[in-house]
Amino acid sequence: MVNFRRARAYVALLPMAITACVIYFGTTLWSLRVSFSSSRTFPTDNFVGLAQYARLFTDDRWLVSLANLAIYGTLVIVVCLVLGFLLAALIDAQARNEGALRSVFLYPYALSFVATGIIWQWLLNPTNGIQEAARRLGFADFQFDWIVDPDKVIYTVAIAAIWQSCGLVMVILLAGLRGIDPDIWKAARLDGIPAWRVYVSIVRPMLAHSFATATILLLTAVVKLYDIVVAMTQGGPGTASEVPAKYIMDHLFGRANIALASAGSIVLLITVGILLAPILYLRRYSARLAAR
Amino acid sequence: MSPRRAARIGLYAFLASAALCFLLPLYVMLVTSFKSLDEIRLGNIFALPGTFTLDAWRAAWSTVCTGVSCEGIRGGFSNSLLIAIPSTVFAIAFGALNGYALAFWRARGANVLFALLMMGAFVPLQVMIYPLVRVTAMLHIFGTLSGIVLVHVIFSMPLMTLLFRNYYAALPVELFNAARVDGAGFLRTFAHVVLPMSPPIIVVAAIMQVTGVWNDYLLGLVFAGRDNLPMTVQLNNLVNTTTGTRLYNVDMAATLLTALVPLVLYFTAGRWFVRGIATGALKG
Amino acid sequence: MWAARITSFVLALLAGAFAQAAPPRAEVMHWWTAGGESAAVRALADAYRAAGGVWVDTAVAGSEQARAVAISRVVGGQPPTAALFNTSKQFLDLIDQGLLGTVDAVAVRDGWDRFLPEPILSTIRVRGHYYAAPVSIHMPTWIWYSKAAFSKAGVTKEPATIEELFAALDRLKAAGLIPLAHGGQPWQENVLFRAMLANVGGRDLYLRVIRDRDPRAIQSDGFRKVLLTFKRLKSYVDVGAPGRNWNDATALLITGKAGVQIMGDWVKAEFAVAKQLPERDYGCIVGLSPQSPYIVQGDAFVFPKSENRDVVAAQQLLAHVVTSPRAQVAFSKQKGSIPIGTGFDPATLDPCTRKGLAVMTDPSRVVGNDENYLIPDQNGALSDILTEYWNRNVPVETVQKDIGAALSR
Repeated sequence: MVNFRRARAYVALLPMAITACVIYFGTTLWSLRVSFSSSRTFPTDNFVGLAQYARLFTDDRWLVSLANLAIYGTLVIVVCLVLGFLLAALIDAQARNEGALRSVFLYPYALSFVATGIIWQWLLNPTNGIQEAARRLGFADFQFDWIVDPDKVIYTVAIAAIWQSCGLVMVILLAGLRGIDPDIWKAARLDGIPAWRVYVSIVRPMLAHSFATATILLLTAVVKLYDIVVAMTQGGPGTASEVPAKYIMDHLFGRANIALASAGSIVLLITVGILLAPILYLRRYSARLAAR
Repeated sequence: MSPRRAARIGLYAFLASAALCFLLPLYVMLVTSFKSLDEIRLGNIFALPGTFTLDAWRAAWSTVCTGVSCEGIRGGFSNSLLIAIPSTVFAIAFGALNGYALAFWRARGANVLFALLMMGAFVPLQVMIYPLVRVTAMLHIFGTLSGIVLVHVIFSMPLMTLLFRNYYAALPVELFNAARVDGAGFLRTFAHVVLPMSPPIIVVAAIMQVTGVWNDYLLGLVFAGRDNLPMTVQLNNLVNTTTGTRLYNVDMAATLLTALVPLVLYFTAGRWFVRGIATGALKG
Repeated sequence: MWAARITSFVLALLAGAFAQAAPPRAEVMHWWTAGGESAAVRALADAYRAAGGVWVDTAVAGSEQARAVAISRVVGGQPPTAALFNTSKQFLDLIDQGLLGTVDAVAVRDGWDRFLPEPILSTIRVRGHYYAAPVSIHMPTWIWYSKAAFSKAGVTKEPATIEELFAALDRLKAAGLIPLAHGGQPWQENVLFRAMLANVGGRDLYLRVIRDRDPRAIQSDGFRKVLLTFKRLKSYVDVGAPGRNWNDATALLITGKAGVQIMGDWVKAEFAVAKQLPERDYGCIVGLSPQSPYIVQGDAFVFPKSENRDVVAAQQLLAHVVTSPRAQVAFSKQKGSIPIGTGFDPATLDPCTRKGLAVMTDPSRVVGNDENYLIPDQNGALSDILTEYWNRNVPVETVQKDIGAALSR
């Protein structure tokens, strides 16, 4: 009887299986195949071995984009998780104004980035934006011209990305918090444990799954980041704020070089795999330990 | 002042300053949308409008020209709805079922499939356009409403499944076991036990999916066919012009108008973000 | 029963007869979505309608995106009747895959090879067949200046040589204005480079570098001088330039905060929105020497191949209408481009367009744009090197070497 029930599970998972295998795995294999060719606008069978990968790793622009990915990726994930947790906890702790507060932090997620990118460009521009406004208010030496500084421009991209994604992390953690037994709070108060202690030592571990979801979500957003860079800096000044997704996109369409673009996306996948694999392995290992 | 009170004030101060930082871009957008182009050209982005005007909003909705047609962005509104509603419903349904099956029923090989699915979440969607065009053309749904809905469901499956799987994995397993002991099958348990505990995560999933589908224009452009183009195509035409003149005030107004639907969803979602659903079921 | 059959047969015949009389219907995909561009497309649509056709508009902003969507639709089996591309090597792959139809009949009948500039012809005529109908001709490296800014800085004469241009820029700097209004985006830096290559390098060097990709020309002293002049312009650009959109740079001219902008003739529409007129509020310099090359950059409609006779008829009609003088004049007035062909009165055009037309009709001065001669990948690689050189301290010898490598691929 158990087997019959389990069969239903398999049937329910069929769409996912088809999607995963045919669409995602299949497309990845196709990309891999194209990356070994010299295809331009359309896929051809002109095989050139690892030439595209060689070109990729001698291209400064690609290497800069990988370095940028590491920098803003770490920043966005860490800051969003911390800030998102703080905001979720604060909103959860006090019952009033939840709708308004939630909307304040979540609304950036709703705005299409093509126009918001222009706003951020204006805000961060030293001639018209925050720097100029602060100077007019009297802070004559105030400097905030990161967006025109090739060494600091990637941080402005991180700021815009954090602004856009924080709200979603907050909401995911809030949903997780809502699943926690309210009796825990009562018990903690009876025992005299301060609220922050409860959050850090008791609640946070119970939110492990929500944190996992939020982290993976942020990681996918970070890896696929494209709109923000195009709208804010166009990859500039020069190629200082180049990101892998933009490199891939530019070569896919504008430069009519789908082979190089495919090579880039395969490398990106492998990079993500290398990052995630040890974490996943660690979780399985610790789960096995716990089960023992 | 007691430390409790100081802490409380500190918390509110933190919330308030965070809120101000988050609202700054919105302020600039609104202010720009109420100005005339001459004022915008002067470059004072923080200044309140000298002459407050709603012209940009009117133009954005119904008169601005995008290509040959001069009907603003309103034309695609119904198309956007037609695409967003089925996409959201199917995506959430599949995500919930997948998450439930993965979290509670140890199906063999399911984790491998899930890993493959998650791999797809890291591929920029533009890379997948060519293969998907070929597949949908083969299925004869390229350029149709079913085609674009299918494409949206495919692209959302990894993250929807992840969302539900992790949420269900955190729920107390006693509930599930109790249902099985009572003799409930796969679907029965899902409908009567798991689904009622899901409103918070369904809200999150809806927020993500509605936002993603509503703001998408590239997939809509390629897969929806000319008669089903969502309103974001018009929005993009307005804002993203290459060598045309830019009407910044209309751009901002149009962006805010387009964002209204997801924003309304965010604001009204609170009713289902209720506390202690899971544990309430346990006690009762 | 057979009465029903006869009725349906007769109805089908009638329907067939009426279908024959259906007007040619063209779905046209393009990226002209905003402001003056929109009005320009409407002029074309009106002309098509006047000729008896039905224009179905599919506007997609962003030229790269529009082309990508057009290609996707061709691959998916639902191509538009016509799709906009640049007069460039962008659609060579489409031709090689046999996905484009030809418009030889229209080209021959209307005599395209008689009035089209050679660079345009060379891109639309591939292996003896005409695969595209040119719609607009732009010049990307005009030198615009604000009359108000010039008078404030005491610049009385319009610069006619490169030295005079730099002298004017110095005076603007001394007067506290932004000498060169620039938007720090790779394609805009490319515009500055091409302007210097044309004006400082001259037609011969331009062609040897861009068209022939001659390694000796690229490593030559003449090219080195061009690169150094290009980099020299950076000292006249304000600190807020990176990322700025081209029309925000034009806005600086319009409000009198900046003096000069080097940009294509599409800026005229931006001036027009601000109600500024050529020769009164702003000036236009076509080149910095009497023989300076006139760079031609164009857009053209390609026609995805179809077996359907109605579609082909619609395509042929479109090719004929968009290149006809009346449609061209109406279109270019809104777009800021130069009307294609002959057979119209130049007096109806604005002074800057007239200047451009006069130069363009001299074949010894006309050269093609970089995309005319380079495939998109090479063009992109060149752009990357230039933008890095502009923004960072790269020695000019390294730049020459890198450009040589990029263009030899």
